[in-house]
Amino acid sequence: MDILPQIILNSLIAGSLYALAAMSFNLIYGVSRSFNLAHGVFATVAAYAVLFLAFHTAIPLPLTITLGILMAVLLGYLLERSIFRPLRLRKASNLVLLIASLGASIVVEALIAIFFSSQFQTLSSLLPPFGTLHILGGTLTDLQAFIIICSVVVLGVFWLVLSYTRFGKAVRAVSDDEEVAKIVGINTNAIIGIVFMIGAGVMGLAGILAGFDTGLEPHMGFILLLGAAIAAVVGGVGNVYGAFLGAFILGFAENFGVFFVSGEWKYAIAFGVLILFLLFRPQGILGKK
Amino acid sequence: MKKTWIGLIVIVALGLVVWGISSMSGNQATNDTGAVKIGAVLPLTGDAAVYGEPLNKVLQIAVGEINANGGINGRQVQLLVEDGKCNGQDAASAAQKLINVDGVKVIIGGFCSSESLAMVPIAAAAKVALISPGSSSPKLTNASPYFVRNYPSDSAQGAVLANIAFTDKGWKKVAFIQEQTDYAQGVQSAFSAEFTKLGGTVTNEQFPTETADFRSLVSKVKSGNPDAVFLSVQTPAVAARILTQIKQLGWKPKLMAADVVPGDPETVSKYKDILEGTLTAEFGTDATNPKFAAMITSYKTQYGEEPPYQGYAQTVYDSAYLVQAAIVAVGYDGTKVANWLHTVKDWQGASGLVTIGANGDPITGHKPEVITGGKVMPYVK
Repeated sequence: MDILPQIILNSLIAGSLYALAAMSFNLIYGVSRSFNLAHGVFATVAAYAVLFLAFHTAIPLPLTITLGILMAVLLGYLLERSIFRPLRLRKASNLVLLIASLGASIVVEALIAIFFSSQFQTLSSLLPPFGTLHILGGTLTDLQAFIIICSVVVLGVFWLVLSYTRFGKAVRAVSDDEEVAKIVGINTNAIIGIVFMIGAGVMGLAGILAGFDTGLEPHMGFILLLGAAIAAVVGGVGNVYGAFLGAFILGFAENFGVFFVSGEWKYAIAFGVLILFLLFRPQGILGKK
Repeated sequence: MKKTWIGLIVIVALGLVVWGISSMSGNQATNDTGAVKIGAVLPLTGDAAVYGEPLNKVLQIAVGEINANGGINGRQVQLLVEDGKCNGQDAASAAQKLINVDGVKVIIGGFCSSESLAMVPIAAAAKVALISPGSSSPKLTNASPYFVRNYPSDSAQGAVLANIAFTDKGWKKVAFIQEQTDYAQGVQSAFSAEFTKLGGTVTNEQFPTETADFRSLVSKVKSGNPDAVFLSVQTPAVAARILTQIKQLGWKPKLMAADVVPGDPETVSKYKDILEGTLTAEFGTDATNPKFAAMITSYKTQYGEEPPYQGYAQTVYDSAYLVQAAIVAVGYDGTKVANWLHTVKDWQGASGLVTIGANGDPITGHKPEVITGGKVMPYVK
């Protein structure tokens, strides 16, 4: 059997999830200039919200998923308002923001573990059994195909919004220079708040998709975040398109690493890629935009 | 400077006190008329208390029965139970207390592997016999001449399955998917050792515990065209993730699995399609064994419910009787009891026929099983 097409498909699936996580991560980084380690919990909270609503209420599934994403959006807003904005206004250093976000992440993860237990759970029983698609000798489930499509659609929407709307221009202005943006009359705090909510929502979507695909546990968001952070550095920190590219490079590196080397090297390879880029191309492939 | 001196004096004083106690208590329990003191270390508090509490009751039942039937050579047995809290540190102080203060020559325990690992050197130095009814870490195999266990090593199942896979099934090439934990590694290395000795080949793909995406790992294993795949995982949840992804790739390999899979009825019934025919081995119980049935009945009459964790209850129950048999045979002496325990052969207990090898591990133990129709059934050739 020729296994290559399957490995390529596997890389695309993994890359797509990383892409959703990394694009949202970089979108937020672009405007806030702080490494948000709490980004992972948006995925976790959204996935667990779907788990809870689907198994304990009679709300139909599409609405459940929407509510799950809205939960992530709400959490994004709350974290920005209650932690990041006050710290930013106080001109706290990036280190303080980093530690604060790590703290927020640990608190939310712990709360989820308390309410839902640390047990591994799955959402896949909510959907009819997955159909399988055969592409060039490889197989993937229709959900996995949907994940790949989602990442491309989100990339397209980001591009349209950032390029062609007033809001997108404001976001780019804040990314370029927050002070100047403020001087020309952009309400930077409002923009950062909205970007936080959008980023949280997209990360929430990634969490829900991962929950349907492989399952969920309280730590899942942090693992997605690690991938997102690596992809962000590889593609160019703060650059949404770079994140997309970086995510797929990471997906391919990991999966081909598992195939050519061995499964236990997966994380070593991922972080090896990170270190190589930090050493030789710290600005990432596309650089900062 | 002054503080350092005070510290040194305190340490020296403490050392003298400990030395004094231990030299005083050395001969305490060897008088031939009083009760025979037997120590026990179980996790009585903390997470593992779910095991320790009911197993303590089982131990009390066994000792109660022994005393009701005349004790050991006419002397009553005094059981001294200490809390090992399922960690090495507390188990070590519990063992120190039993050995140095109470002067016991035989200790039942530890229960958790971490407890036993910490107690082994202490017991060996004091020439006290240890018998563990629950520690399954392969690191305890051949740990000390003073240590035996009547609960099988995690790795024992590997050897049982290797023989069936090679001889009965005719599989020549087995691919492992192994989680990077001591337990899963133990199962893997035991299987490999036996299977390669027989003439088969084993490949091994390892993965860290937090892995969620097994697709490329499974694709790689699939492309190697193995005769069978062995899932050596630490928890049923990880097995569930791998099984789902094997299924999604449209693959239906012949499977073997470590005992955590058949130990979880939910996984077995939920994944019954793909698990159909899976070979596995568990340290199970035998309800038709009269000694086992008698133990269950006594527990029920005394506590009004069936004992939980019966796989452990049977070995705890047996450990008390093994100690009794040893002392009857060779007297109350740590070295002699330990030597005797290393030679136990076809001893009938609640856990079946017990034979302990020279390495301190029981030779019998894991029974091969096969998963059929969402249920775990005994394996028949």
